[in-house]
Amino acid sequence: MNDAAPANLTQLVIWGGFALAFVFGAIAQRSNFCTMGALSDIVNMGHWGRMRMWLLAMGVAMIGTGLLAWTGAVDLSKTVAQRPVMPILSLLVGGAVFGVGMTIAGGCANRNLVRLGSGSLRSLVVLMVMGIAAYMTLKGLFAAGRAAWLDPVAIDLGASGWKDQGLGSALSRLGGLEARGAQLGAAVVLGLGLLGFALKDARFRGNLWQVLGGLMLGGLVVAAWYLTGHLGFGENQETLETVFHGTNSRTLESMSFVGPTAYGLELLMLWTDKSLHASFGIASVLGVVAGAAVVSLATGKFRWEGFASLGDLRSQLIGAVLMGFGGVTALGCTIGQGLSGVSTLAIGSFIALAAIVLGSVLTLKWLLWRAERA
Amino acid sequence: MNFDKEVDASGLACPMPIVKTKKALADMGAGQVLRVLATDPGSLEDLPVFAEQTGNPLLQSGEEAGRYVFYFRKA
Repeated sequence: MNDAAPANLTQLVIWGGFALAFVFGAIAQRSNFCTMGALSDIVNMGHWGRMRMWLLAMGVAMIGTGLLAWTGAVDLSKTVAQRPVMPILSLLVGGAVFGVGMTIAGGCANRNLVRLGSGSLRSLVVLMVMGIAAYMTLKGLFAAGRAAWLDPVAIDLGASGWKDQGLGSALSRLGGLEARGAQLGAAVVLGLGLLGFALKDARFRGNLWQVLGGLMLGGLVVAAWYLTGHLGFGENQETLETVFHGTNSRTLESMSFVGPTAYGLELLMLWTDKSLHASFGIASVLGVVAGAAVVSLATGKFRWEGFASLGDLRSQLIGAVLMGFGGVTALGCTIGQGLSGVSTLAIGSFIALAAIVLGSVLTLKWLLWRAERA
Repeated sequence: MNFDKEVDASGLACPMPIVKTKKALADMGAGQVLRVLATDPGSLEDLPVFAEQTGNPLLQSGEEAGRYVFYFRKA
């Protein structure tokens, strides 16, 4: 626990989040990091380069986060991803809808933030519409349907004695292992497996930016957990309760971009409402844009871009709405669940990621089928 | 450079430039040249990798009138 004054801790978490996301955006821009692009490369040309970078980031994030938890620096059972009640239908439906949306919109939330930093006004529109749809799913029209039909279909692991959704708890309950050690063991085994798969390809190893990108993006996910879960964990001096400072969820967070985009819009629209404040997530969204902007300007890749046709506008808007709904319903996007959530080894995060991949791959195949018929 | 067929993927985001290029090449005969126009900055990275992976050589690439231009030879 950090004994510094709460106001200082909040500032530390917010500015730290901006700094980490700045680096995240810079690397993503320079290395062409894109989850949907990685899947498209595999489906359309059998090329695994960008997917290896993605899996390398995931492996690093798993091992680093596992070590953080094992040393006691952070308590992953307090993360949203590891909550013992697993909303299985929301994860499946939200994930699949997000996967469809990001493919139609030409990239996930993170990719559109990077594109915005590189001069894409089209991505600005996509992000604004996605943010509105996400807010509608958090508190508006879509939230009613989510809460009535999707969230109630849940598995209460707590009722079966599980402390959380982590693989460590699963191994503890099912195999009689000590939970903390089992969590670290699972993180190391899975993480090393992913690192091995990514790095076994000589061509990938020869691509310095992709290797460096994978290592650093994974490391930034770990650093964000440490920032919000350790450095930002302190005492409220009025109530004497321990709290996580500077996050919208009031618990520890790592990189995630759909919900924070919605909270960013809310803050801008309700600026005079003194109950609303900047947060780690909002700062992260801005940081990615800023980092991508600096790199794109420095490398001469900054280029203003807009919509070229009505059809393009239509598909991007549909994709944006689907991403906003899906990202909130599945409790995260390709980064929020795919890297941050999976790094905690939460079973629900693996399910959400699988649904995202399935939705995206099916949409990629549909796009190809439609093109072949044209 | 002379070409046999053209695909205009201007204004289309990833993955559509690749999807349209793949479809166009599938309909062409060996040795024919395809010209692809795109505005998505991602195509600068994606289409050369596509050429390498699919074995259809990228003969030339550049920028014309604010658009990226790529020439592929069908293998």
